[in-house]
Amino acid sequence: MSSFIKGLLRLRRGPWEMLATILIALGVFMLMQPFALVLFTYSFIVTLIGTVMFIIVSHFPE
Amino acid sequence: MPDPLSKRAALATPPSLARKIRGLSDRTIAWIFIAPTIFLLLAVNIFPLIWTIRLSLTNFRTNRPNNAVEFVGIENYRKILTDSDTWTSLQATAHFLIWTIVLQVLIGFTLAYLINKKFRGNDMWTTLIVLPMMLSPAVVGNFWTFLYQPQIGLFNYFISFLTGTDPASFSMIGEVPLAPWAIVIVDTWMWTPFVMLICLAGLRSIPSSIYEAAECDRASKWRQFWTITLPMALPFLMLAVLFRGIENFKMFDLVVQLTGGGPGATTQLTSIDLKREAFEKWRTGYASAYAVILFVTVFGLASIYVKALNKVKDR
Amino acid sequence: MSFSITEPSNRQKWIAGVLVIAYALITLMPLAWIIATGFKTPADAIAYPPKVIFEPSVEGYVNLFTSRSRVTPEDLAALPPPETFYDEIVRQYDMVITGPSKYGERFLNSIIIGFGSTFLSVFLGTIAAYAFSRFKVPLKDDLLFFILSTRMMPPIAVAIPIFLMYRQLGLSDTHLGMILLYTAVNLSLSVWLLKGFIDEIPIEYEEAALIDGYTRFQAFYKVVLPQAATGIASTAIFCLIFAWNEYAFAVLLTSGTAQTAPPFIPTIIGAGGKDWPAVAAGATLFLVPIMVFTILLRKHLLRGITFGAVRK
Repeated sequence: MSSFIKGLLRLRRGPWEMLATILIALGVFMLMQPFALVLFTYSFIVTLIGTVMFIIVSHFPE
Repeated sequence: MPDPLSKRAALATPPSLARKIRGLSDRTIAWIFIAPTIFLLLAVNIFPLIWTIRLSLTNFRTNRPNNAVEFVGIENYRKILTDSDTWTSLQATAHFLIWTIVLQVLIGFTLAYLINKKFRGNDMWTTLIVLPMMLSPAVVGNFWTFLYQPQIGLFNYFISFLTGTDPASFSMIGEVPLAPWAIVIVDTWMWTPFVMLICLAGLRSIPSSIYEAAECDRASKWRQFWTITLPMALPFLMLAVLFRGIENFKMFDLVVQLTGGGPGATTQLTSIDLKREAFEKWRTGYASAYAVILFVTVFGLASIYVKALNKVKDR
Repeated sequence: MSFSITEPSNRQKWIAGVLVIAYALITLMPLAWIIATGFKTPADAIAYPPKVIFEPSVEGYVNLFTSRSRVTPEDLAALPPPETFYDEIVRQYDMVITGPSKYGERFLNSIIIGFGSTFLSVFLGTIAAYAFSRFKVPLKDDLLFFILSTRMMPPIAVAIPIFLMYRQLGLSDTHLGMILLYTAVNLSLSVWLLKGFIDEIPIEYEEAALIDGYTRFQAFYKVVLPQAATGIASTAIFCLIFAWNEYAFAVLLTSGTAQTAPPFIPTIIGAGGKDWPAVAAGATLFLVPIMVFTILLRKHLLRGITFGAVRK
């Protein structure tokens, strides 16, 4: 876990990509879940942030 | 055959000059070769995408080209993301997505495991099993409505043969509780071979020396399956799941031919919902915003997919 | 024959074989049913219980290729005797053939658009893949990802702006428009697949050719192309299958002149409701070529459907 945070701080690709992946997955889940309309409403912004983040961080060094 | 004299001359000439003599530089060739592809993709994909984003911020309607086009900001997005009908169609998509993936992974992996036992003639049977997946989903989906006919349909007859229910007593695509399962069944029929093929590649990539070592350690077959087979095949399984997930998230042709979204809106998946908004109600601005939401979602999933793909490639 | 401890026993193989064959037989039933229904009479097609053994008839095919109209029995009696077997079949139902149906045209459209877009996307894909494989291209990974991601976009979402764009350019419902669109969609597949195939050709061959005084172009088409021939052929079949099967763009962007077979086949109707034998006949003619191609492609199947990620 500490290496994960270290990776984030040093702007390493691995942990940041992981974070972006989690955001995208969360956004997709919020988009299609049957539980609360509020989650559906904010799903797009979460996916968008995750996707943009993924594009940026995939250019970070390994 | 080049004569030795020209070879010697070529060696004696400085490289940059030699390149000029031989023709274009590598860099120029690279651009000449790539440019048409990039240009075509820009014209058919990126330019329309930018246009969609612009339209999504307006109230433009294709069937009323004379109306003044107003800039409405994120109003379209707000409407879609608070609309409970849209939410319902995304839930229908989720039902379709989850069950097709679960069934296809279970059946596909089992089949791959069995085929990997290398019984005689397994190649031929694998090829035959793959056939449904290569065919046109619209044409095949349309014919499935015939198989699903109450009484005369082959599917209903098959079910009544197995369970004894009256084949005229139920209609897979006409009844609200059954229709979501009707589309899951056809998609599973069609795409299980895809998951099977990828799982088979995963199983075949496991070197037999690992199993031999496990045999020496007297690990049980059950243990071998959970500690060797499954973990080693997992990246391939992930690839199959992501791929099917993206494909079924945007599913259109098969389901529109099977049920057309009905009965009611029970099988109205997002793509069908979007088609209604864009090409039946002609709310172009609204539909564009809807399209952008789907774009971003698929783009996000695609980046995860490419990451998984590279992982498999590196093995 | 090697006997290792990991080789499955004969009993295991036997059980696996039986299960897989059982699955295959069940899964092939719908396909067999399509082909069989094409050779049934309309009455046999909707018989209960479903008829497995029936007298074959070409009525479905006759109905598929002709358009017919109903005539009164008196008019029918006044007509000269039928000249051909298809006239005879149609007249049993108090009908006469008024001309060919649109199926032939739609099938031809599928062929023109399929082969046109396949040729273009393989040609452009080959040169782009060669450049990506052999040269230093700035932002290579981003470009490749961009190319792949275009393939994943939902067709309905892409169709909205394309529909507007084609209307302004006069490309809607034209062969050229559909060929360009399918080329663009197939390019991603052909670039990714062909890059994999070209990556596998040892670079030494070209270097040797360059030293022998070949230009880059000569090295490309005299050394690389022959080596990649199998790869190019299988890529071409995958592109063809996609264009052949595509439905969403075709149904939204074409209505007549350039309509392909997939949106047309479901609209075939007979005199009283759906003419299932004719639909099945149309589907059979449309699907069988792909089944043959699939069997030819079996060695490259995995590679094609995963964009070259899994090689087997």
